[in-house]
Amino acid sequence: MGRQILSMRRIDKRFTGVHALRQVDFDLEEGEIHALVGENGAGKSTLMKVLIGITPKDSGEIHYLGRQFSPRDPKHALEMGIGIIHQELNMMDHLTVAQNIFIGRESMRPGGVLLDARAQNRRAEELFRRLSMDIDPTERLGRLTVGRQQMVEIAKAVSHTPRILILDEPTAALADAEIDELFSIMRDLAAKGVGMVHISHRLDEIHRIAHRVTVLRDGERIDTKPVAEVSKQQIIGMMVGRVIYEQPKTRSAVAPDAPVVLRVRGLNAGRLVRDVGFELRRGEILGIAGLMGSGRTETARAIFGADEVQGGTIEVRGRRVTVRSPQDAVAHGIGYLSEDRKRYGLAVDLSVRDNLVMATYDLFRRGLFIQARRVRQVAQEYVRKLGIRTPSLEQLLRNLSGGNQQKVVVAKWLIRTSDILIFDEPTRGIDVGAKSEIYTLMNELTRQGKSLIMISSELTEILRMSDRILVMSEGRITGELPIEKASQEAIMGLATIGHRKVLSRS
Amino acid sequence: MANGNDEAGRLRRFGQRGLKGALAPAALVILYVFFGLFGRNYFSYPTLVNIIDAAYYIGFISMGVTFVIISGGIDLSIGTVMMCAAIIGGTVFKRGWPMLPSLLIVIAVGVAFGFFNGLMVSRLKMPPFIVTLGTMMISMGVGSIFANVQSATFPIRGQPGGWFKDIFLWISPEGGVVPTGALLLAAVAVICHLLLTGTRLGRYTYAIGSNMEAARLSGVDVKKWQMLAYVIAGATAGIGGISYAAIYTTVLPAQGQGFELYAIAAAVIGGTSLSGGVGTIWGTIIGVFIMSVLSTGLPSLNLEAHYQTFFTGVIVIGAVLLDMYRTRKAAEVRIETPAEAYRAGRLREAAGLRQEAARLRAAGDGKRADELAARIRQAREETRATFARMKAGQKAEQARIRAEARAADRELAEELKRRGPPQGDSERRP
Repeated sequence: MGRQILSMRRIDKRFTGVHALRQVDFDLEEGEIHALVGENGAGKSTLMKVLIGITPKDSGEIHYLGRQFSPRDPKHALEMGIGIIHQELNMMDHLTVAQNIFIGRESMRPGGVLLDARAQNRRAEELFRRLSMDIDPTERLGRLTVGRQQMVEIAKAVSHTPRILILDEPTAALADAEIDELFSIMRDLAAKGVGMVHISHRLDEIHRIAHRVTVLRDGERIDTKPVAEVSKQQIIGMMVGRVIYEQPKTRSAVAPDAPVVLRVRGLNAGRLVRDVGFELRRGEILGIAGLMGSGRTETARAIFGADEVQGGTIEVRGRRVTVRSPQDAVAHGIGYLSEDRKRYGLAVDLSVRDNLVMATYDLFRRGLFIQARRVRQVAQEYVRKLGIRTPSLEQLLRNLSGGNQQKVVVAKWLIRTSDILIFDEPTRGIDVGAKSEIYTLMNELTRQGKSLIMISSELTEILRMSDRILVMSEGRITGELPIEKASQEAIMGLATIGHRKVLSRS
Repeated sequence: MANGNDEAGRLRRFGQRGLKGALAPAALVILYVFFGLFGRNYFSYPTLVNIIDAAYYIGFISMGVTFVIISGGIDLSIGTVMMCAAIIGGTVFKRGWPMLPSLLIVIAVGVAFGFFNGLMVSRLKMPPFIVTLGTMMISMGVGSIFANVQSATFPIRGQPGGWFKDIFLWISPEGGVVPTGALLLAAVAVICHLLLTGTRLGRYTYAIGSNMEAARLSGVDVKKWQMLAYVIAGATAGIGGISYAAIYTTVLPAQGQGFELYAIAAAVIGGTSLSGGVGTIWGTIIGVFIMSVLSTGLPSLNLEAHYQTFFTGVIVIGAVLLDMYRTRKAAEVRIETPAEAYRAGRLREAAGLRQEAARLRAAGDGKRADELAARIRQAREETRATFARMKAGQKAEQARIRAEARAADRELAEELKRRGPPQGDSERRP
């Protein structure tokens, strides 16, 4: 057994409206790879942010190398030997690989004024040799594939000779061969005594690479176990826990002869939508599952006219329509709730009222002017109907909790009387209570005859809500599962079908 | 979430919004009174007319540029477009056009340039800074070319066509002066305000400036509304051009560079955010008058014109700093310390006692009321002392924690040095 190098005790953290961490314990040994898993919003990232000083903890203690440790910021943590590799790449495309790795601690010529590019490239080469990576230090970063860029990020983290390395979903963007390469690097580092925290959604990986696994759920630590002692099913069980909101659907609530409200055929758009076709029936919730980058969001955006479409037909209520822009889609009664609310769904610096009617000002117009009183009435009505918790209509949206922001987006499309609503990751970043409210709301909408498409990475959510499930992989629909036949395993099977297999099938 | 928190939050937010709205007008009044007290002959009707005169052309274009800035863009061309429009109008008048069509040409030129800017930004997705920088130079060139690099002189009062001056400054037969242009400025301000707050154009301008992609995905015709912001800016440049001609009579070619910066400065002083989505016409007008009070007031203190640019700069930076400070304060989550909780509790008690005292006094029991008042005073002293002690204790505690953290850091650093870089001393293998 390695010696313990990190021990986090009773870490607690609250954000407005969310209890992100509840008395969480976590520890790490020398040379250990410790997997940290949980559903989205379970608190994995928050816990790591506490460790490297991005998020201050409310209470609890961190002991590192047997000493009390209070990280001030990521730079401080890094100096003390705790490095992190983020899920998103944080590097500069226009600089070379070596410049990216040594930014902030460049090699200098004697005198300390001029940069010594040659020495720096040599240092980078040396680093890559040690990690058995085959990357040219003088290449511009932007010219590398995402997988290679990820390797550079790892090399950069290793160049600080960390004792603890946090890897936040490092394999999300990697191809299989690259994952093998990454794992062998991780094993080498472990042999040198570096402790690693491996955050991942891919549970299969855990048994390949990790020694122990800690499961978080809703900000609580459920358990920590040696991986050899738990099966994948047990881990999933711990992640999902007792189902406290709605039971999974066991059969579709939609009659098979319900009218088709949306029919998509042969849709092609960008790199990630290939020959997509499906039907959506009145009152139905159609789930679209798939891994990140499988083309789910891109399909939704193409239907909504947000991105350019290269081919295919869309029929709304049996009539062929052309959707060239979101305006066209809105005119046909289609609404889209983006996966990234803050970037694409809301204007967080405007008031609740302004956001509610952003899509509908033309409905409240008399002549040139907007009827402020009617806007207020309608906004008030929807705030009440959807139970949006806000002190007033004038409240800036940034001050609302994630769940309430999401309800504002839903209300925006309801005021617009959209019949077809596309929910893209509707519960991302929302806590459990608000989640179940959103689910109830979605079911209520279908009872009113609206038709919903729900895109989600959370399989439990897809299984809980959908009447029918489409699974996408590599831009294509690889299967359709009626809810009666759907299971996490069936979905994952279809979601991981590689590109070549898809082609040979069709 | 506790209800009391919401209540307090709303009060605080109201306080901040009120402050934000009142600060610029307060600064304006203070400046005016300051010059009135220390300047030569500043509190006078002619000076007031001068202040208003100096506000016209920057006033009009600053309103236009406010639309563009709220929409998330910038218009660097607005000053030169204004002068280009004015010189073209003056030149066609010189070539024999009647006054009214000449003035309409001024507006039309402004609108045309605004249209061009809008087209480039909204349809061709060019960065507004670049487009309007280009238009700034183009409009300067166009004005000079059209006028053959000659100045254009508008008619003075009494000459044919001189009537248009009365729009901005009406002089009665007895020699009385009425700054009628102030009415026009006010009318344009009211129209702009209504456009911004009461119409789709305005609401979409805010929405686009706040989050363009969210507006587009809500089905807003972003291209159209974005373009209209520039067209409105162009129209105000036209009106500004007419006002410039009315006040200064002679328009020289290739003028107007720098006016756009004063217009932008006015908007910024008035609380418009250069990152878009925030701003009001009212604020911009205040900003304009702050600058115009400066430009008329400093000479009355025998300070020359260049002091005006200096102080305007100071005010721009000061206004933005203050705005950022307030925004940060508003975003801060305040945690009540035990000392503050104690003081708040005692203050509530004291308020209760004061009410009681007032009740007793009303009931005619003056003696007991006086006793109570004495007790309140005593309690106040006590509270102050205890609060100071608690606060000092807290500070010492915080300092101790910081010192401990520093000591722990040092120990950890030594430990790290002692251990050296991680080496293969672990036997673990997956």
